[in-house]
Amino acid sequence: MRFTITREDLLRPLSLVAGVVERRQTLPVLSNVLLEVRDTQLALTGTDLEVELIGRTAPHHVDEPGSATVPARKLMDICKSLPERTDITFTLEEGRAVLRAGRSRFTLSTLPVAEFPNIEGSQSDTTLTLTRGTLKHLIDATSFAMAQQDVRYYLNGMLLEFGHHLVRTVATDGHRLAVCARSAEVEVEPSQKLIVPRKGILELARLLDGSDEPVELTIGGTHLRAQTGDFTFTSKLVDGKFPDYERVVPRGGDKVIIAERGELRQVLSRTAILSNEKYRGVRLNLEEHNLRVTANNPEQEEAEENVAIEYEGDTLEVGFNVGYLVDVLGVLDADRVQMTLSDPNSSALLEEPGGGDAMYVVMPMRL
Amino acid sequence: MRKILHADCDCFYAAVEMRDDPALRDIPIAIGGSPETRGVVATCNYPARAFGIHSAMPMARAMRLCPHLTRLSPDFEKYRAVSARIQALFHELTSLVEPLSLDEAYLDVSEVTRFQGSATWMARWLKQEALARTGIVISVGAAPSKFLAKLASDWDKPDGLCVIAPDEVEPFLLALPVKQLHGVGPATAAKLEALEIVTCRDLREWPLESLIERFGKFGRRLFELARGIDERPVQIERERKSVSVETTYHRDLPDLASCHDALTPLVERLMARLARHGTPAIQKLYVKVRFNDFSSTTLEAAGREALAARFQALLDGAWARGERPVRLLGVGVRLTPEAQRRQMTLFD
Repeated sequence: MRFTITREDLLRPLSLVAGVVERRQTLPVLSNVLLEVRDTQLALTGTDLEVELIGRTAPHHVDEPGSATVPARKLMDICKSLPERTDITFTLEEGRAVLRAGRSRFTLSTLPVAEFPNIEGSQSDTTLTLTRGTLKHLIDATSFAMAQQDVRYYLNGMLLEFGHHLVRTVATDGHRLAVCARSAEVEVEPSQKLIVPRKGILELARLLDGSDEPVELTIGGTHLRAQTGDFTFTSKLVDGKFPDYERVVPRGGDKVIIAERGELRQVLSRTAILSNEKYRGVRLNLEEHNLRVTANNPEQEEAEENVAIEYEGDTLEVGFNVGYLVDVLGVLDADRVQMTLSDPNSSALLEEPGGGDAMYVVMPMRL
Repeated sequence: MRKILHADCDCFYAAVEMRDDPALRDIPIAIGGSPETRGVVATCNYPARAFGIHSAMPMARAMRLCPHLTRLSPDFEKYRAVSARIQALFHELTSLVEPLSLDEAYLDVSEVTRFQGSATWMARWLKQEALARTGIVISVGAAPSKFLAKLASDWDKPDGLCVIAPDEVEPFLLALPVKQLHGVGPATAAKLEALEIVTCRDLREWPLESLIERFGKFGRRLFELARGIDERPVQIERERKSVSVETTYHRDLPDLASCHDALTPLVERLMARLARHGTPAIQKLYVKVRFNDFSSTTLEAAGREALAARFQALLDGAWARGERPVRLLGVGVRLTPEAQRRQMTLFD
């Protein structure tokens, strides 16, 4: 194997592919990235057995095709620290990988290509196409609510639902829930639901931008594959039953307030400074045209903020984990936010005034 | 600069008994379970300490060291009542009190203006009032941090009053044997000695990285303590993380069946204790087994109710890890953290 490539052409796919590679590995070869050169193309593959990412790029010179696996982090650190626009020549010499660039030379260890695992595709696949912008919006609007290392393993991921001209994403950690739906030119009958693990979602989002470029999704029984531009992403699916989101979206709230989103977010973030560090609880007091937000901590320090809102109705006092509210206000795609409440023990519904494509449900906290 | 007091009753249980029966004052006494029940010494008085007896020592051994030792069973009700009066006294000085046990507490007196803000006078007042109101002698240490305050209260026990003023911290630390640092037990002490680290002055010569490499997370703590760094605040509320009961048996339980029999009354005691704590929300259940070779094992599982059948099942698993006579059995529950209890959930 021997090829020459410009630093920038290698670095872009390499940094995305290396993102999939875990720092701690059970199998040594999983710390490596697989390089495969064929014709005029270089393919880079990183995997952790759950998520696999292949990035393709064009060397400006291929002298000899071939393949090798080399340590991903080290390769990336070397390429990053070389000067811009450097040409890097890559060769295999006596089982070791040699990088030459200008007057630099690096010799890296390799592991046999045959040991490098690849994720098998599965049978009975459904294929559909979305724009990158649509998929990115659906993920960004909900991914913050995914659980992390929850014993209910199916919550450590995102539910994707494909139906009749509709794509929906749902994420929840059991305390709050985010759901976002967009219409799209897809036709899946009957509708399909799949759970993509947390890491897969985060890596997939890194491949996407807001453009109208297509993403081709292939849904298998055990895997999801996404093909866009020079990248092929594959993730195992989580086998489990995701909770029914429709059951927990509150319908009976009679106290509807509308506030400036940015202002409310700042008010909450400031109040949070003096909330109990462990519980992060803040108290919301609804009054006519005014929302009072207060917090205190074990040191008896107190914060109080008042913010103008559109509201006429009964007073209500309710507590929330301030982080959950701030998260929602951070992703809502509107200048104003509508919050529907009923009593101190029932969930709040947050959305664009009048309802948008996303809904957020947050359970209160006892104060 | 903070002002922290550490107050500690001198051989508390024994002191209460001696107060109530002056005849015990000058003879060696120990409070704890009987040797027949494999009891251990909870507290002993100074005459007993002269024989080499100390707390946590098996009572049988204490009796061998001092055959005329007077042993008393502990009367926790009585000790709790005395403790409550002493804790109330602490609260007269400041609301920032962190009780460590029945007879020990940290007080943050940084903001106290009484006694012209003098920690020495506050300490003297606490000692005087504790003796006058309860008849119990306490030792008090005053220093800019918790670990120094605790060292200070131990300094000239019994009836001690030791103040480490900010400008005395440095010379005090340099000469301090590392053995006296909180968390340095026999094993760590031996490791330190092998590195020729005897005083904090020696310890300071070691860079942070080397200490972390050799002692893990505790390496950072050693590095900080050697420099007098201890920012731990005096914590008023301390969250209870678990509730448990355990028993060391007079005779080893020979087999699994006898363990099962012995577990039933333990679970009953646990239920009673949970009720006393207001039936808190439970997250996990566990069973602890110590075998006759002193190896211990703990097996736990998720669960919300302290059900006897669950503990029996855990016992099967724990027993299988040793399969030999059992010296001690324990059952317990880990409680749901406060933060989790307050946050309401979407499902279930």
